[in-house]
Amino acid sequence: MGPLPRTLELFYDVLSPYSWLAFEVLCRYKNIWNVSLQLRPTLIAGIMKDSGSLTAMRFLTIVKLEHPELLEKVSRELWMRVWSRDEDITEPQSILAAAEKAGMSTGRARELLERVSTPQVKNQLKETTDAACKYGAFGLPVTVAHLDDETYMLFGSDRMELLAHLLGKLQVHAELPLTPPLRAISCPEGWIQSTKKDVLGPSSNGASYTHRCA
Amino acid sequence: MGPLPRTLELFYDVLSPYSWLAFEVLCRYKNIWNVSLQLRPTLIAGIMKDSGNQPPALLPRKALYLKNDVRRLGRYLQVPIHLPKDFFFVIFEKGSLTAMRFLTIVKLEHPELLEKVSRELWMRVWSRDEDITEPQSILAAAEKAGMSTGRARELLERVSTPQVKNQLKETTDAACKYGAFGLPVTVAHLDDETYMLFGSDRMELLAHLLGKLQVHAELPLTPPLRAISCPEGWIQSTKKDVLGPSSNGASYTHRCA
Repeated sequence: MGPLPRTLELFYDVLSPYSWLAFEVLCRYKNIWNVSLQLRPTLIAGIMKDSGSLTAMRFLTIVKLEHPELLEKVSRELWMRVWSRDEDITEPQSILAAAEKAGMSTGRARELLERVSTPQVKNQLKETTDAACKYGAFGLPVTVAHLDDETYMLFGSDRMELLAHLLGKLQVHAELPLTPPLRAISCPEGWIQSTKKDVLGPSSNGASYTHRCA
Repeated sequence: MGPLPRTLELFYDVLSPYSWLAFEVLCRYKNIWNVSLQLRPTLIAGIMKDSGNQPPALLPRKALYLKNDVRRLGRYLQVPIHLPKDFFFVIFEKGSLTAMRFLTIVKLEHPELLEKVSRELWMRVWSRDEDITEPQSILAAAEKAGMSTGRARELLERVSTPQVKNQLKETTDAACKYGAFGLPVTVAHLDDETYMLFGSDRMELLAHLLGKLQVHAELPLTPPLRAISCPEGWIQSTKKDVLGPSSNGASYTHRCA
């Protein structure tokens, strides 16, 4: 049996386009990196002053509570509406349409929609948003990586290569000069600390790069 | 003879740690990518004023995040960044006016030394927590970069002349015209398109725009973050820029085309 998956939490709001980018990258990589991806619907309005996604994020909150296996698809469908087809996500019809497209029955979607303003759902969304704030969030998306004895809070959709590096998953391919990771080439003398494993990653064949800098 | 190099302009200020990261990455890659890198010393204070933006460190949570982010990216990119002990004093009180004026005149008179002098100034303020505002500090950086003391002093004497002040202002205005609201800004001039990219975290995207991002089908661990298992119908495989010109993308495209 291989190593246990490590956990990533993704705090996101469908109103945030960068959240969508982070979401897609992490969905694509979760199995390749062997990580457990916990999706956490959050309200960006609770982190900064914003508006527009309250019902949608409450709906995703109850989807997570009742049908967690559908959370990824319903989230994606909401993004496709607002950030791909410029469609509404605030009206009940809009949310139902997204849920149905994700494979939920109309009846079940309606049931869940009816419960979005109950204290249970409102409180859960608030708790998730508070959790993001406790991690230091000032916006979304926020990816929290729980690795061994360290926890990393990463903001934005543009820290995924860094995340791969922290996970020890960024390989340096000495034989492919075009685009090795942007960190391993010709840095000034004395900079690379080649004894540190995290410089090159565990499975690297970094000979062509280290000899310039070590 | 190979293709002519395309041009990248890097607008930067040594006060900006992210500018240092972008600078190092571009310096490392300019020959690999066959691009002509034009370094453009800019004043970040001028960009903030003109755009109405605020430095991110003024928001407490961003300041805390920034400290961790800069440290991690420094380790990841192998740049020896260390935060100054009195971060706010260095950034907001001391600033970088003389340093950037000095780099402006270095660019005018000794462009071949601009990369090294810039790096030495960053090493002072963003690695060893040393001053970059006093004349001695600037001379020390210039000397470390290989300039003679005499020549460095001559240039330093001219930093407050209209020629130098205006040049720095012009460069800062140019960045603003490109739409800058902060630094670093990389402007890529490719064929018939111009791209303005903000930050040190658009380098993989830049590689992709340059057609330099290879997809390695046989190396599953870290292909570029765009080519794997996207939902059906998303990848338009007729577009060359999806997979890059020299890709062997068979293992990835069949899932999505």
